[in-house]
Amino acid sequence: MKIAVLSLALFAVPLALAQGNYEIQVYGSETQAPRSTMVELHSNYTAVGQKYFIDGVSPTNHAEHETIEITQGLTPWAEVGFYIFTSERSGNGVQWVGDHIRPRVRVPPGWRWPVGVSVSMEMGYQRAFFSADTWTWEIRPIVDKSVGRWYFAVNPALERTWHGPDVNQGVGFSPAVKISYDFTKQISGGVEYYADYGSLTHIASLHDQQQQIFPAIDLNVSPKWEINFGVGVGPTAATDHWIVKGILGRRFDWSDLGRQH
Amino acid sequence: MSDNKNVLLHPHLSVQHEEALSLASRRAFLRRAVLAGTASLIPTALCAQPPRGKPDYSLEIAETEWALSPKKRIRVAAYNGQVPGPLLRLTEGRPVTVSITNRLRHEEVVHWHGQWIPSEVDGSMEEGTPAIAPGASTSIRFTPRPFGLHWYHTHVAAHRDFSLGLYSGQFGVLLVEPRQNPAPWDGEQFLVLRDWEPYFVSSDDGSEMVDYAAASINGRMLGHGEPIQVRPGQRMLFQILNASATQTHWLALPGHRFQVLALDGRPVPTQATVEYLRLGPAERVTALVTMNAPGVWVLGEPRANFRNAGMGIVVEYANRTGEPQHPRDSALRWDYSAFAHDTPATRKPDVTMPLVFTSRFEGHGALDRWMINGKSFPETDPVRLTYGLRYRLQFINRSTDPHPVHLHRHAFELVSLQGRPTSGIMKDVVIVEPNTTTEVDLVADNPGNTLFHCHQQDHMDSGFMDLFRYA
Repeated sequence: MKIAVLSLALFAVPLALAQGNYEIQVYGSETQAPRSTMVELHSNYTAVGQKYFIDGVSPTNHAEHETIEITQGLTPWAEVGFYIFTSERSGNGVQWVGDHIRPRVRVPPGWRWPVGVSVSMEMGYQRAFFSADTWTWEIRPIVDKSVGRWYFAVNPALERTWHGPDVNQGVGFSPAVKISYDFTKQISGGVEYYADYGSLTHIASLHDQQQQIFPAIDLNVSPKWEINFGVGVGPTAATDHWIVKGILGRRFDWSDLGRQH
Repeated sequence: MSDNKNVLLHPHLSVQHEEALSLASRRAFLRRAVLAGTASLIPTALCAQPPRGKPDYSLEIAETEWALSPKKRIRVAAYNGQVPGPLLRLTEGRPVTVSITNRLRHEEVVHWHGQWIPSEVDGSMEEGTPAIAPGASTSIRFTPRPFGLHWYHTHVAAHRDFSLGLYSGQFGVLLVEPRQNPAPWDGEQFLVLRDWEPYFVSSDDGSEMVDYAAASINGRMLGHGEPIQVRPGQRMLFQILNASATQTHWLALPGHRFQVLALDGRPVPTQATVEYLRLGPAERVTALVTMNAPGVWVLGEPRANFRNAGMGIVVEYANRTGEPQHPRDSALRWDYSAFAHDTPATRKPDVTMPLVFTSRFEGHGALDRWMINGKSFPETDPVRLTYGLRYRLQFINRSTDPHPVHLHRHAFELVSLQGRPTSGIMKDVVIVEPNTTTEVDLVADNPGNTLFHCHQQDHMDSGFMDLFRYA
């Protein structure tokens, strides 16, 4: 997950995220099945965010971020995702922000581990107008577990800037956590938590950390569709204060024989 | 590999010569003694009898290490140290004694699937068959009936323990031969389909389901068993059992077609020829193939994911070499009514009995709870049968899963499939497709407690069972 940056430079803290609030999602460990493709539209609106240009980076306040994510299953344990980030804000029109690529592998379920485990690597470019750090890299371990109606997931992501002001910051720590409960087969509700604690070697003060909590709902109306909706609150000064997020995903199965009875 | 045994399929079809029986190491473990006693000539002689003398067969249930391939070794509970268990060839109407020793650390029971035998020996604790305690031995005696391809397997619950129940290696082929065998075949081959290394995954519809990392035919993954050796023009009889705990399988042999002679051991009225066979868990197909396409082939799953997991066996014509050609991944078709009479069933039932299958969601991290008429076993209402009456059982599947439902100790006639009338097919397992209704006629002619259940281990463990009791 990549949450918004409220100009950390404003607080003279050497901390920044390369990606803005373009994709707000706690990953589960499952990967796309081979011969299937997931197309997701991430729509995130910052209701209350950064209102000023900071170091030439566009404000996030009242910005609508639309991200197209296309994930192709390669094997039963590997996939690759591709992102197209866009931003729309009054006065700027629709702008291309950048692209990322994200290969991911999982522990095959046949290994019968007690928890689901996968790891992704995401790398790519965002224009300096939207992110001071343009080239970035992230490694994201993913651990999850379903127990009856409860679901738990944790993503202790590590981030590194390849090009930008934070290139000397080292590795940043950005954990994300999700806990949800299945109210029905179709409706699950829970809480998603996203944070950026700054450099692993120089954890930021609470004031300067990014913290966001999203009460969120998942609708499981069909195996072909993925629907997620949430409203996020950012209580720290360094975080966008209100964000509304939505994910609409459609799965395309190119192997209609795979599930035939 | 010839056993020189004759197998009657129906009054006009039989096997005279058997060869290439590739159930691994069966001779090493199959204890075949002289069949003693005079066969009973009437069904009423079928009853539990105290064992006497030396058993005809012995089964030892114990953990064993089994090599699905040189690189894939598993540790499972099995019969006589082999997977599948030894092929048991019995003769219809001739009483047999089987001794069973349980070397496991939990109670076990052996179910004689497809046999019309008393509840006390049928092998279901729900019906009243005594469990075999850990370390204990027992002997059972019964008179095999009816003839045909059947099987024997454990009948204990597994729930989330994949070392138990049908997830284990406790299964084997039971072939009951008729007393006369008038017609010849050139060869007979047994194929036992099986999935291994189960694990829980989220299903497409949101609940947990069981998937598998490996699969085998006759205990070996594709490429690691002995090829089936054939000659051009040979007429091969394939006796096929799907012993999977939960998975339906398809089979195809490129360049060849299957003439289906029997389903679940019962001869079919129309011996239709098909390109694909479909077998739900516990279903059996007896099919004849004329070997008229010389080459090297894979007899296996047409679906690549299952075949890649190991579901296949090589068929090799004499003097042919090369890379085996596997079945193509194309549209699969199966319709029971292709093997039925042309005319619908005419006999009216005495009683019509709806059995509605539904599920209750228990969370994405749990198996669904299954119900028959709104109740899960053992809270289900027992079905009362009266001897001699004809019952029309309406299997109304109001779920998104197919269910291979099985009735112990009886066979039933398919009379309607998804609203289409049919007749003449006798089975003991039938797949009821999602959100459809299948009707079968059952003649209550074998008194005793009779278990009815979905043959998917995860479904029967989650309440998909009912007990039929005779009044």
